[in-house]
Amino acid sequence: MAVLVDITKCIGCEGCTVACKRYNNLNFKAKPRNVKDDGNVELDDNRWTVIQKFHGEKNDKLRFVKKQCLHCKEPACASACFSKAIQKDEKTGAVVYYPDLCVGCRYCLVACPYSIPKYQWNEQFPQVSKCQMCSERVSKGDAPACVSACTTGALMSGDRDELLKKAHEIINSDSRYINHIYGEYEVGGAEWLYISDVPFEDLGFKDVSNVPVTSYTKSYLSKVPGLAACWALFLSGIAFYNYRVDKNRKSHDDDDQDKEG
Amino acid sequence: MKVYKCFRILGWDFTITPVRFVLTGLVALMVATVVLRLLTGFQYVTNLTDETPWGMWIAFDVMCGVALAGGGYSTALLVSIFQYKEFHIVARGALLTSLLGYILVMAGLFLDIGQWFNFWRPFVSWGYTSVLFEVFWCISIYTTVLSIEFFEIITERILRKKLHRYIVKILPVLIVIGLIFPVMHQSSLGGLFLIMKERMFPLWWSEFLPLYFLLSSFFIGSAMVTIETTLAKTAYGHEIPHNIMLKLTRVGAGMMFVYLLLKLYDLFEKHEWNYVFQGTLQSNMYCVEMLFGILIPLMIIVSPLSKKRGGLLTYAVLTVLGVILNRLNCVFTSMYESGSYFPGIGEIIVSVGLISLGVLIYCFLVENFNILGNERAVQIKIDKDKDIKNLIWALLRTKRR
Amino acid sequence: MSNKMSRRKFLKVVAGSGVLGFGVMASGCKGKPSGGDGWVSSQYEGKGNFPVNLKGRVAISATNPSIERDDEKCILCGQCVDACKNVMGVYGNYPLPLKQEIACVGCGQCVMQCPSGAITEKSHVRKVLDALDDDTKHVVVQTAPATKVSLGEEFGMPQGTSVGKKMAGALKAAGFDSVFDTCFAADLTIMEEASEFVQRLTKKKDEIPHLTSCCPGWVKYCEYFYPELMHNLSTCKSPQNMLGATIKSFYAEKMGINPSNIVNVSIMPCTAKKFEVGREELEVDGQQDMDYVLTTRELAVLLKHKGIDLNTVAEAEYDSVLGESTGAGRIFGATGGVTEAAVRTAYYLATGSNPPADLLDWKPVRGMQSVKEAVAGIPGVGAVNIAVCHGLENARQLLDGIKTAGSSKWQFIEFMACPGGCIGGGGQPKSMDAVEAKKKRIEAIYKEDTGAAKRCSHDNAEIQSIYKDFFGKPLSEKAEKYLHTTFVNRHDRLFD
Repeated sequence: MAVLVDITKCIGCEGCTVACKRYNNLNFKAKPRNVKDDGNVELDDNRWTVIQKFHGEKNDKLRFVKKQCLHCKEPACASACFSKAIQKDEKTGAVVYYPDLCVGCRYCLVACPYSIPKYQWNEQFPQVSKCQMCSERVSKGDAPACVSACTTGALMSGDRDELLKKAHEIINSDSRYINHIYGEYEVGGAEWLYISDVPFEDLGFKDVSNVPVTSYTKSYLSKVPGLAACWALFLSGIAFYNYRVDKNRKSHDDDDQDKEG
Repeated sequence: MKVYKCFRILGWDFTITPVRFVLTGLVALMVATVVLRLLTGFQYVTNLTDETPWGMWIAFDVMCGVALAGGGYSTALLVSIFQYKEFHIVARGALLTSLLGYILVMAGLFLDIGQWFNFWRPFVSWGYTSVLFEVFWCISIYTTVLSIEFFEIITERILRKKLHRYIVKILPVLIVIGLIFPVMHQSSLGGLFLIMKERMFPLWWSEFLPLYFLLSSFFIGSAMVTIETTLAKTAYGHEIPHNIMLKLTRVGAGMMFVYLLLKLYDLFEKHEWNYVFQGTLQSNMYCVEMLFGILIPLMIIVSPLSKKRGGLLTYAVLTVLGVILNRLNCVFTSMYESGSYFPGIGEIIVSVGLISLGVLIYCFLVENFNILGNERAVQIKIDKDKDIKNLIWALLRTKRR
Repeated sequence: MSNKMSRRKFLKVVAGSGVLGFGVMASGCKGKPSGGDGWVSSQYEGKGNFPVNLKGRVAISATNPSIERDDEKCILCGQCVDACKNVMGVYGNYPLPLKQEIACVGCGQCVMQCPSGAITEKSHVRKVLDALDDDTKHVVVQTAPATKVSLGEEFGMPQGTSVGKKMAGALKAAGFDSVFDTCFAADLTIMEEASEFVQRLTKKKDEIPHLTSCCPGWVKYCEYFYPELMHNLSTCKSPQNMLGATIKSFYAEKMGINPSNIVNVSIMPCTAKKFEVGREELEVDGQQDMDYVLTTRELAVLLKHKGIDLNTVAEAEYDSVLGESTGAGRIFGATGGVTEAAVRTAYYLATGSNPPADLLDWKPVRGMQSVKEAVAGIPGVGAVNIAVCHGLENARQLLDGIKTAGSSKWQFIEFMACPGGCIGGGGQPKSMDAVEAKKKRIEAIYKEDTGAAKRCSHDNAEIQSIYKDFFGKPLSEKAEKYLHTTFVNRHDRLFD
């Protein structure tokens, strides 16, 4: 399951954020934890998705951008979790968080290239919070709550390949669109795709490389067992050598003593 | 030699000095904060936010703590494997500091995790794709090994008989194991940052990060041993010949030179010179780190200054501060975006309290066990047959009479 | 031996827990994922992404001066979209992507339709209460004609109860310094607008058809979607602002009060008025005509807050100088009312005598039919073709018809944004049977008209004296300054 966001069609009604809060039983009363300088509210533990408004210096057009977990194809958060509390659901593509497994180290928060996962700082036993792409709805075949609540067709859900095809069709048929699908290749690709008529960097999208960040840890960790084994072998070798030398010297000394004796 | 008032309770020596009285108070304060933290979560104790999810406890207590505790394995490596027998006299002290360091690191980690009752999960639910998984296992195993190694010293005095013999028997194996895991996790501490490629400032992120962390843990280890022995000398008169210390630090400095070469290679390879002199927060911090943490210590060690104790100590202090700054930079400066973070009072109390606890335990062990090379490290005046009541009394009023 | 046993036991425990742990992991015992323990409205249930009749909601900007929404109460039923799109013709009638702003005429029909009370007017109650508590302020209030026949509903009275005098009494009890009648200003508007219409009919033929401009929702709609018709709009301010400007000039002068110490409050059936009061074009000498607007609902809240029960409060007369009203002013609240009142006075202006009885009970412009047509025979001017339209979606169809035809067959068109006119406004009490309520309110309004001693605006004695003392005559320079305005082209905020 993937979602295509057509930024040009969003009117900023924020119905998706309400659907998200309703479905996930989030607290409507919670004050935003982080309001940016331009007045936009950032994600937090009670805002798994937000609509951010961009209207100003760079573009004179009024644009709204839905922000939530992009559900990467190579999720850094899931790869970073040392207790498997975040897992990529192979069937739905959703990157899902299992609170029962979570230790609370917050490595996922620092690992995510988009800074998406947030933490329940006010809880006694806090958990990570992020968009789950309504994994239960999606596994039943429903669209995520936010997508089903969108009136203007700015959010479309479906098979990723088909959506990509559709996105390319839209871009090719309308010259106003930027020829770039954000999420197609970013850090290895994501389930959420964005198309826009305003350059993505003016809409608060982070300019990231196409290399999945998990590849760096993967290549490091793949070397570790071998290196560790070599190192262990080396150490034991020398230790054994030292031991033999010691023993020899001792027996030599003993021999000497014997001779003297 | 200073003579302290000492109480002997059940055969153990408890020395009371004004400094230790203060330290005990700090520990008590920490215990209260820890209880508050464990019962109420992070909100009242820390200044952590979504923008800086890792704060002082991770950056200072864990990152720096592990690095500082690196002295144990670096001396063990030199002594046991490369047969620098002359360093043997610092080995036990370094072992103790390492062990204490790791125990405090684990305490810090335990406080830093949100669902602390779930701390055992990674033992069962294996997130093997995570570098943290490796760190977690390595630290767990290494702390266990260190404890058993240290048990040898403990059993010299108590539970002697059989147990001590067993431990002495398996000690060589333990030492080898105890050298595999610290090397692995010192480097994986750097590996933790590999996944933050898109978030870290390019001056700090590098594919060599694991190697940087390993090398720096090695030279901060030797520098830390220098500082410890200097402190132990003032406190306990346990003197170590200057030439041995110089030799030890030179080994460390050699590592530091390799580190510097690697860093320079990185800068050229990735064409990042323009970042160094930007004048922004990040580039300035980088310059400070490299200048005072690497370049000046290296210059000290090749200059005649190193022949003097003061010079050597300056080298050691600069190196330690430099590595600490490097760890803080990795966690904070390199990921600085909009939010600013300053540790909350609770975080500082806990960190200071943990260090105080470490110092107190160190002193107690050194005064009761053969660690610094002599049977009884301290010349003590013993008030005979004083009981616990008197100890508490003494804690409440340091100066009796 | 015992030592060995215990070690074996120990190993057993360790290995056993390891195996158990691995089993737990392998069996996928990972608990429930977080989230998903709430609900969504029923139209979003069901397999797949089925098309549904009604979904989502309208966009409301945080800076919208008229309405606001409490997300916690929003159930995403889609009723607001229905109101905005099908009744008011705003939602979905501009191209995407957006240009400069989220289109909203402030009519408040979404407020009326919202079943969970999530959308409300942006409340001024607190500010008005503060002003009432401030001794340095002279707080003046005016009440719109449509509120007089609806406020009673908020206090449990039957629909269509006229409570004008009780409202005046309640407002005085609430501590307002003067209570004036917007009906008076409606008469003033008619004097200006009828004069303007007659002038356009005879001299400025390019400004025909004459489009009314007393409805702020319609005016903003016209600015958004039909900027080419802006010069056809009557330049008259709405009655609310005419009275506001008069209070801060004529009344302030007469009473010797510094205009900056006057707080002008109006009781309106309308949320768009909250936008209108902030319009810069309406300002006179850099001073806003009006300060705060309370909807009928807000007034009920304020009165209840003050412990005033409309059922038991003593009746009172509106204050003099700006308090007299005629039947013509009172029917402003219903669709067709403005037209009827304007025709009465236009007849007088053209002929010098009062209109005949059929023009005083002019059936063709009354009622809930979406577009009503009528012909008024005015001697000297001839037959005037008139259309009356309410509901902005109807207005869209009417104006698009004119656009395609190239010219208008009507010389005078009245537009009201809300269905039924002001009596169906977005600030009115919510009713169990909205259609019935509108009928009853309209009936009550026309009953007030027939019950009035004077039926035509020009007969209003206070109007006559204010022209004598202050404005001179309709469309005079002073009248232009205080009573007329200009409009803003908002087309490019929605369109390329």
